[in-house]
Amino acid sequence: MALVGPSGAGKSTLLGLVNGSVPPTAGSVQVFGADPTALRGRAQRELRARVGTVHQHLELVGQLRVVHNVNAGRLSSWPAWRAAWSLVRPQGVAEVLAALEQVGLADRVFERTERLSGGQRQRVALARLLVQQPELVLADEPASALDPVLAERALTLLAGLAADRGGALVASLHDPALALRHCTRVVGLVEGRVVLDAPAAALTVGDLADFYGAPR
Amino acid sequence: MTAVLDRPQAPPRLQRVRTRWAWGLGALAVLGWSLAGAGAFTGDVVNPAGTGQFGRFASAALSPALDGAFLRVLADSVLVTVAYAALGAALAVLLGAVGAVAVARTTWGRRRLGWTLSRGALAVPRGLHEAVWGLLLVNLLGLDPWVGVLAIGVPYGAVTAKVFADLLDEVPRGGHSALLAGGVGRVPAALYGLLPPASGGLLSYSFYRLECAVRSAVVLGLIGAGGLGYQLLLSFSSLRWEQVWSCVYALALLCLLADVGGRAVRRRVAAPRSSGDRLRRDPALTTAVLGTLAAVVWSWWYLAISPATLVADRTGEQLRYVLAAAWPPDVDGSLLSAVAAAAVDTVQMSVIAIAVATAGAVVLAGLAARPARASAGRRLAGTVVRLALLLLRAVPPPVWALVLLFVLLPGILPGALALGVYTLGVLGRLAAEATEELDPRPRAALTALGAGPVAGWLYGVLPAATGPVLAFALYRWEVAIRDTVLVGLLGAGGLGALLASAVAAFDWGAVTTVLVALVLLTAAVDLVSARARAALR
Repeated sequence: MALVGPSGAGKSTLLGLVNGSVPPTAGSVQVFGADPTALRGRAQRELRARVGTVHQHLELVGQLRVVHNVNAGRLSSWPAWRAAWSLVRPQGVAEVLAALEQVGLADRVFERTERLSGGQRQRVALARLLVQQPELVLADEPASALDPVLAERALTLLAGLAADRGGALVASLHDPALALRHCTRVVGLVEGRVVLDAPAAALTVGDLADFYGAPR
Repeated sequence: MTAVLDRPQAPPRLQRVRTRWAWGLGALAVLGWSLAGAGAFTGDVVNPAGTGQFGRFASAALSPALDGAFLRVLADSVLVTVAYAALGAALAVLLGAVGAVAVARTTWGRRRLGWTLSRGALAVPRGLHEAVWGLLLVNLLGLDPWVGVLAIGVPYGAVTAKVFADLLDEVPRGGHSALLAGGVGRVPAALYGLLPPASGGLLSYSFYRLECAVRSAVVLGLIGAGGLGYQLLLSFSSLRWEQVWSCVYALALLCLLADVGGRAVRRRVAAPRSSGDRLRRDPALTTAVLGTLAAVVWSWWYLAISPATLVADRTGEQLRYVLAAAWPPDVDGSLLSAVAAAAVDTVQMSVIAIAVATAGAVVLAGLAARPARASAGRRLAGTVVRLALLLLRAVPPPVWALVLLFVLLPGILPGALALGVYTLGVLGRLAAEATEELDPRPRAALTALGAGPVAGWLYGVLPAATGPVLAFALYRWEVAIRDTVLVGLLGAGGLGALLASAVAAFDWGAVTTVLVALVLLTAAVDLVSARARAALR
């Protein structure tokens, strides 16, 4: 599913509501049949582990090596001592390498993340998601720092990742063509309200372009 | 051809950064050596006989002296302390602003020699503690209010110049370089490209200096300049614990006011109110700046300071006499070996102090930081920790040393622990602020994918906080080496004790020797600290 709409329409807020990082001011949210803000402790963490997010500003820890930032995708299932030990002696390097291989970054696995370029960091964020193996994938502008070829690959990867586990991909996108190519359903937001909800097949690039350009 | 391409690549190897490991191991070795020197592993350090007195002291915390006569005395000493602090800090900021331009790397550019020399010139005033300045100035000016003001203003001015220059040098260069590349002159480029990003840091550091000046004014009281510190010492030496606690609470309240004021100003600078399309000044910021200026003027009047003292004939005569007696320095063999032994004690004290403070700060920083969203219980715990830290840094280290001497035998350890406890108060606050200023989003992202609180802290906070906290710890080590002298002046050993006895004997040649040793030692510590911080980056 693609989320489209002008800046400030509430796309990121909507994604935040779903992964539980933004508490709703009114109403409630159901994710996999549960309210993410109502759960506590272990149950909340288990629910959150099933939802993977690629954030707009990536939210990686620059001071950590790439391997740790990718391993962070598994923190929900690791006990605290293992998380701590991994910082000293990286754990599960094989899986991390496999994930980085998929995004073409395997040679940078022990690099400090802040030394990578914007596009490379974006791919680290994707690798974190691959390791997390969520059922629902939320992506906030996952293609914004990538060139067209990489953007194409990233979205294919995200859609495939969600499909593997029988789940869905919800992505906010700025590129109408990309949205129509990779998503089956398009939802348009303006000022926090849904103003469009249609199958991608029924829309053209021109229909969507109106959403970004039109001042209201 | 394909055979070559298909050969499996060797997987990348994890490489440790050697320099950091070397620094880490070196630090541990030095700490072990210091602890051994302080007798922590061998001799008796605890004095069981003093626990009764300590109990009486501690229980007086709940019943501070509140009778009218004492409160009037207390109010008077508070005003004197505030006046010294305000004038001293004002002088320091003034000197610092001028000095910063003279020592900033931005000013010198690639001319390294000039930069190094100007930095070196700062090391002398910075290397001597306020109390040492006080001790020397008393001998020049007699009992004059200028002693307190200059004793704070001169060393603080040097530190402020260094920090201001660092703040300016650490501003991201992008905007400034773009202006220079666009043909803008050096001064306007600095005004538009360097000062705005640095201004928050400069203003908040100025208010931080004011807060420090309050404590220094107290310390100067301990060596006789009057005010709250003097009162505290009087009450302490007459064993009136209730009065001691009243002084401590008054001090803590003063520090709290400075703390809260400084924080409010900093917040305002960091997140200015949106003023839309009208040019408006922030009323709170304007009040703070004008209020501080008014306090400076009032202090001038209240302390009845007159510039005449500085230019009086007697001052000049005394200066000439002391300088003549102080040169050449005494290089007698027995004095030199005493200086060397005292220098080792001083280093060991400062190392133990900073280790205690850093360990405590790391544990407490998370609790002391104000999170964006928190439960009521978490908020309460945070307030209690912050108040405790405030109390730790409100009480000057020599007073902590006196308190610790109830339960510890005299030696390096009480001095070191006193300094450690005090530094913990400062470092805990700095570490908490560093934690608050971290980008909260990586941690939030980890929480959103289901990481637990410990794992979230380890991956989202620790890596980002380690650098700034260790940098603060190293910076505080530079401060601690100066403060050990203060603790020493009041009897805990090290170079401070040596200096106090030389001044008391008017042995100016020996005073020069000890001062030179002090400046060299602090300069060496600064150098090591700077190298370590560079390795951390």
